[in-house]
Amino acid sequence: MKERILQTLRALNAYAVEKGYEVVIFFHEEDSYLMRFANSAVSLNTNEHLIRLEATAYEGRKRATYEMITDLNQIEAMKQGIDFAAEMVHHAMPLSYDPTIPTLKADFIDENGYDAELAKLSNEERLAYFNQVSRNLETEDLKLGGIFSNGTNILAQINTKSEYAQYFKTSDSQVTAVLSHQKLKWEVIAEQSAQKKTDLDPEKLNRDLTFLIEHYQNDAPQQLPLASYDIVFGHAATAEMVRFMNWIGFNGGLMKRGYSFLTEEEIGQKILSEKITLKDDPTILETFPQKQDFMGIDRNPYPLFMDGVFQGFIWNQDDADEFGAEPTGHTVMHNSLVLEGGEQEIDSLQDLVKQPREKDILYIPYLHYMNIVNPSQGLITGSSRFGSLLLKADGSVVVPYNVRLTQSLLEIFGEKVAWLSNKTIPYNVSNSYGARNPIALIVPKFIRVNDLEISHANDSY
Amino acid sequence: MIEKIQQEITRLKGLGATYVDTRWYPLEEQNYLLMWNGNLKTTASSRESGVGIRVLYKGAWGFSASSDLSNLSALYEKAFDNARIAAERVTFPVRLAEKDEIQAQFESPCQINPFDISLADKVEFLRTMDEKLNQEGVEQRISNLNFMRKKIVFLDSEGSQIEKLITEVFSSLQVTGRDADGDSHERKFNLGRQGESRGWESIDMNIFSENAERIVKELNQVLVADNCPKDDRSVILLPGIMYLQTHETIGHALELDRILGYELAYAGGSFVTLDDFGKLRYGSEKLTARADATLPNSPGSFGYDDDGIPAKDIILIDKGILVGAITGRQMVEEANARARKRIFQESGGANRATTFYRVPIERMTNINIDPGDDGTLDDIVADTEKGIILDGDRSWSIGSNREQFHFGEEIGWLVENGEITDVVKNPTHKGNTVKFWNSLSAVGNESTWQVKYVDNCGKGQPNQIMQLGHGVPACRFDNVRIGE
Repeated sequence: MKERILQTLRALNAYAVEKGYEVVIFFHEEDSYLMRFANSAVSLNTNEHLIRLEATAYEGRKRATYEMITDLNQIEAMKQGIDFAAEMVHHAMPLSYDPTIPTLKADFIDENGYDAELAKLSNEERLAYFNQVSRNLETEDLKLGGIFSNGTNILAQINTKSEYAQYFKTSDSQVTAVLSHQKLKWEVIAEQSAQKKTDLDPEKLNRDLTFLIEHYQNDAPQQLPLASYDIVFGHAATAEMVRFMNWIGFNGGLMKRGYSFLTEEEIGQKILSEKITLKDDPTILETFPQKQDFMGIDRNPYPLFMDGVFQGFIWNQDDADEFGAEPTGHTVMHNSLVLEGGEQEIDSLQDLVKQPREKDILYIPYLHYMNIVNPSQGLITGSSRFGSLLLKADGSVVVPYNVRLTQSLLEIFGEKVAWLSNKTIPYNVSNSYGARNPIALIVPKFIRVNDLEISHANDSY
Repeated sequence: MIEKIQQEITRLKGLGATYVDTRWYPLEEQNYLLMWNGNLKTTASSRESGVGIRVLYKGAWGFSASSDLSNLSALYEKAFDNARIAAERVTFPVRLAEKDEIQAQFESPCQINPFDISLADKVEFLRTMDEKLNQEGVEQRISNLNFMRKKIVFLDSEGSQIEKLITEVFSSLQVTGRDADGDSHERKFNLGRQGESRGWESIDMNIFSENAERIVKELNQVLVADNCPKDDRSVILLPGIMYLQTHETIGHALELDRILGYELAYAGGSFVTLDDFGKLRYGSEKLTARADATLPNSPGSFGYDDDGIPAKDIILIDKGILVGAITGRQMVEEANARARKRIFQESGGANRATTFYRVPIERMTNINIDPGDDGTLDDIVADTEKGIILDGDRSWSIGSNREQFHFGEEIGWLVENGEITDVVKNPTHKGNTVKFWNSLSAVGNESTWQVKYVDNCGKGQPNQIMQLGHGVPACRFDNVRIGE
């Protein structure tokens, strides 16, 4: 299939060159499988195989894009799509800067992230996995929900500046298993991100769910008083907050447009806790990385915060062109963010609960529906969900009703950080509204932040 | 093509499928233009076509979709196979509420096809808007045009055949600036319903020009304003935020699939239970809400849903009491069976998919609040002792069962003793859903009622973005916490 895709792209490129166009041709193919569970049944079992072709035409400072869903047999329709882009660009308005067209100097083929066994899992295997995850856990009141999503993602690119092409092929899987109480409306979750089939471990999810259910069934629920708490965030909550930092933190273009809580003057300054080291590290396969960006820049680990010191903004090519910055190899579908672990030896929630403690600890595994209240201040808000626990100083455990946090990311990752667990985990945040685009972050399994105020506490689940 | 689809549907029925439907999109096109600070950053067009096949077998759904129609039979077999495997884990066999066999056509109102308008004219519109927004205090100015047109052919194994042609027009203007502390603030205008049709004629230069001037003026007021106070007071929500309050805390909360737990692993559930219908006092007596897919000229009006059910106008909340939900054929049957009583008489016609390669799920239509008899906005303000008027969605975050919420707005105007006093920046309001709606103390009349469009409502796995509408008046709620 790879050769056929590349041959097709080369044929389309040759067509564009012959016509005198200046065009970048982008190819995306997904073979997606999703088994969705609800109320302990398979509520949806679906497969989509889609090929998208995008042609961006340039004419001096003008730029226009035409995208189509197609298939490899439709070569004439694809050529027509390129013609459309070339026609559109005549009528576009010039930009105030010179847009850069990538100059690829050699073919770049990366299939290291592809595992055929994961990509081609059968319906029977997906179902068997979920049956194993939920073994002995479902009851009349406790129902299984979740998804098993897996598939293949192919990205390829060629342009009229050279005959060279890029080709990236990855496999990915995102598993979410939720057990929810039909009457009381509480939910507990266990998740897994996989880049290869051997990453899948249904027994671990079964153990995690078993542990949480035991607490939710046996420990007393409570509405928490509005106050400050020492909070331990689980990896899902941490990943979500880091993802928001990716939007309103170190993105150069957004900073220039006023949507960042960081400034150029803060480069080289200590902004966060010295315990925070955050990188974009495309060498880690579990992040579904791109090792070369779409401009042909090789991607290497790129420091963002080292011991809390801000290292600098990332620049994609278009923002770099507009604001006169140097591109940093970040013209990609997504970054490969890695928040390094710390020194606290905690591997599991079971370890955290067992640990002796001097004060109550609020454990928040997951933040639901997070949004930005004020980007300039890094102020975000979101509610706890999926298995929060209040670990009392006396060793007992209380199940708290959900709470809301409205806090600045500068505060959360600032001097109040007490520790980060030494173990890290890939957390899958894929959320494809359109084309499949697997994304995962590497984050510590747990982070403790002291003295954070909660702004709302529910009086029921 | 239609004949081939009918043959395949018949073939799968012969293999034991209890129901089969197909949505064939011969054409779905989109044209999106974005101008940012005078730069035409995006000039994009797209074109899609393909089929989505849904098969019901032994009480379980299977689905497959592709743009490659060269082997249609294989695609049907894939959907059937997916249903066959799903049938191994069934707890409540899917049944579909009764419907009539329908042969119909629907075309959304559109006088001037936006795809017939030259790119040059569209660019000129954005350039003109950009010039109007380019004023003192404005750092970032963004304007966009978004046109969609889709032709959908629906066929099912119950003999229905429906053809739809839907045209959508969305457009917005946005300005941002920074205050003396360097904090950024924004003000937006989103095109809502103007007139009786929704084609290029919606892009009315006069309306956009007036609103461009207004949002620049209001942004500059915000930039020099004090912060919103933190206290409890009456909040008067203008349609520019009232639509989102309605969307998040009535619309999503009353999607029947959420109520039945079908979104618990992702988007969340609902605090509403099946026992609540006919009993729960959701809001004060001033609140009447409806899901009205018959409202002319709105993205929430689509003729027939993707179950083939004709558009309906369903009362959701009647004078404060919960009476209805946003429903499709599958969920009403399951809800009635689970409740052991007939809560829902029939499908509400709200099962929709965003495109051919996504499966239909319960989606909002036009979730509207009926206008009230508390007069104009001026009347409501005059009747308010201590309050704040809020407008413009800046931030929204909702609890997983839609039980509580936190909204941030673009602008607030303080009200003291019936008079508007100062503009404030960074306004927010939060609360518990039921308590909040029960604090509804004034509902504006027709003069305050506007239909707002939503072009980006996300739900489901795989994710789907849906277009819909909200017709809402200005409303006042009492004792609401603001400024946090």
